[in-house]
Amino acid sequence: MTPQKSTLARLFPFSWRDLAVSAAILSCAAVICILLQRANSSDGFASPVFVLAVLCVSRFTTGYLFGLIASVLGVVCVNFIFTYPYWAVNFTLSGYPLTFLVFLAASIMTCALTTQVRQSERLRAENEKEKTRANLLRSVSHDIRTPLTSIVGSTSAVLDNPGLSLPEQWELLEDVRSEAQWLIRVVENLLSITRIGEDQARITKEPEAAEEIMGEAVRKFRRRYPGISVSVEVPADLLMVPMDPILIEQVLSNLLENAAVHGERTSRIRVSVQAEEGFARFAVEDNGCGIPEKELPTLFDGTLKRNETAKGDGKRNMGLGLSVCLAIVRAHGGTMQAQNLPGGAEFTFRLPLEEQE
Amino acid sequence: MTIREKILVIEDEKSISHFISTVLNNNGYEAMQARTGSEALSMISSHCPDLIILDLGLPDMDGLDILRKLREWSSLPVVVVSARSYEKDKVQALDLGADDYLTKPFGTDELLARVRTAIRHTRTASGNDEIAQKGTYTVGDLTIDYNKHQAMVRGVNVKLTLSEFRIVALLGKYAGKVLTYDFIIKELWGPRAGGDNQILRVNMANIRRKIEKNPAEPEYLFTEVGVGYRLAEGD
Repeated sequence: MTPQKSTLARLFPFSWRDLAVSAAILSCAAVICILLQRANSSDGFASPVFVLAVLCVSRFTTGYLFGLIASVLGVVCVNFIFTYPYWAVNFTLSGYPLTFLVFLAASIMTCALTTQVRQSERLRAENEKEKTRANLLRSVSHDIRTPLTSIVGSTSAVLDNPGLSLPEQWELLEDVRSEAQWLIRVVENLLSITRIGEDQARITKEPEAAEEIMGEAVRKFRRRYPGISVSVEVPADLLMVPMDPILIEQVLSNLLENAAVHGERTSRIRVSVQAEEGFARFAVEDNGCGIPEKELPTLFDGTLKRNETAKGDGKRNMGLGLSVCLAIVRAHGGTMQAQNLPGGAEFTFRLPLEEQE
Repeated sequence: MTIREKILVIEDEKSISHFISTVLNNNGYEAMQARTGSEALSMISSHCPDLIILDLGLPDMDGLDILRKLREWSSLPVVVVSARSYEKDKVQALDLGADDYLTKPFGTDELLARVRTAIRHTRTASGNDEIAQKGTYTVGDLTIDYNKHQAMVRGVNVKLTLSEFRIVALLGKYAGKVLTYDFIIKELWGPRAGGDNQILRVNMANIRRKIEKNPAEPEYLFTEVGVGYRLAEGD
């Protein structure tokens, strides 16, 4: 159905599945006719049964090919088998051309309708994808614009004001550095998306030691946020989990970062992993201000939300980081949850311990 | 007058090359810059630098090709610079003979640490000065005793098994440097050992449980995700 294919191939695609479906439907029709014929000697029922069969074939197969074949076969069957004289083709039968036309028209119209329905379904899916992409772009552009404004502003302030004291210059440069680091994290999230790929099924999983990945994510986090105390808990026995280690490290980093930035008053974070009914359950728990109740139900519905309420542009977007987490975890065949605990928030995700197809 | 070590920075992005050079020049090194692979190759033979910082993404040739060409005639230390997502490139570069890598974006302390380690390791034949002189390597509370074949934390023998000790000993010999999974496996179990690094992971987990306070918060044995392991460097 790709546009590169010729019109012929697009209108008359062949597939073994469709062939099987058509054969099954036509055989059913034939069997019904034979049974009816045994029960009742009149032969007026054959035509409607086959018209119905042709409609079904046209509806449940792709393109026009099988619909047309079914209508020809239907006409032949009706004429040859189920109409007097039986087992003989009789073209002189009154109304025969009409029967043939009815079959063909039914088939073509149904095929056209089916194709149309399929096309609009595809369009809708594409629109949905386009919308997600647009949302993502909007969210990312925003995430990028704010720090860039600050970087340009701060560096200009240093360069254009030779009179600034050294501490003032330092302060501005500190801002530049932290904004640039924020940008790096945005870009790394974007790269993670490209790594998952379009169909979200091309990640390569290798068994990795959960503690190593958590250790690395936490070590990097501590360098960025030395003021927050992080504790890590892993089981006494080594837990190996099939994963793309870079991507799962990204998930943990994002969750840690969220806990620090959106928890607002977070001072402690607890990261843990444990085996649980065929899954590895990772949890990031903080003692911050929790997740706003009204955001909880829609946190993981895949839409990217902007925080444009009271705080407006001041608050950094949680959407990109979380949707990247969700996409990564889903691509691993896992699930993700968030909840408020007394005095904080907890994000958990589960990854299957067994490779499943 | 002290002789400053010459470092060739091979990087096509002017701003990155500029900041690396500035940092190096202000920390006791002499930095030279090359923008392309061909320029780099001619500068290597004419200036004989003490270390090379090589960006893998160059406009005129693959950074790995430069490394390959260089390794045909020189063991001059090379620190490779690459982006995060390309851990395969990093592993390939390390296996081709690069001494270490920096992941973009990196900070100045990281840059200087890698440069220091790489230069130190080429100065001494055994790779690690301390081991050659005293037969031990110490970092923090951890001591690796190469004569007695044991590792001690705060003076207490942690009773590593033979293969566990061999892993720690190998990492200690190259302390501060990242060693790829393949390299460690080949050094320990011979060149024909399979590419399966499960056994290595399990050994590593056991070692961490013996020498680290918390295996998930290592102070000595660091993981380089997707690449290998690195033992902390002592002072």
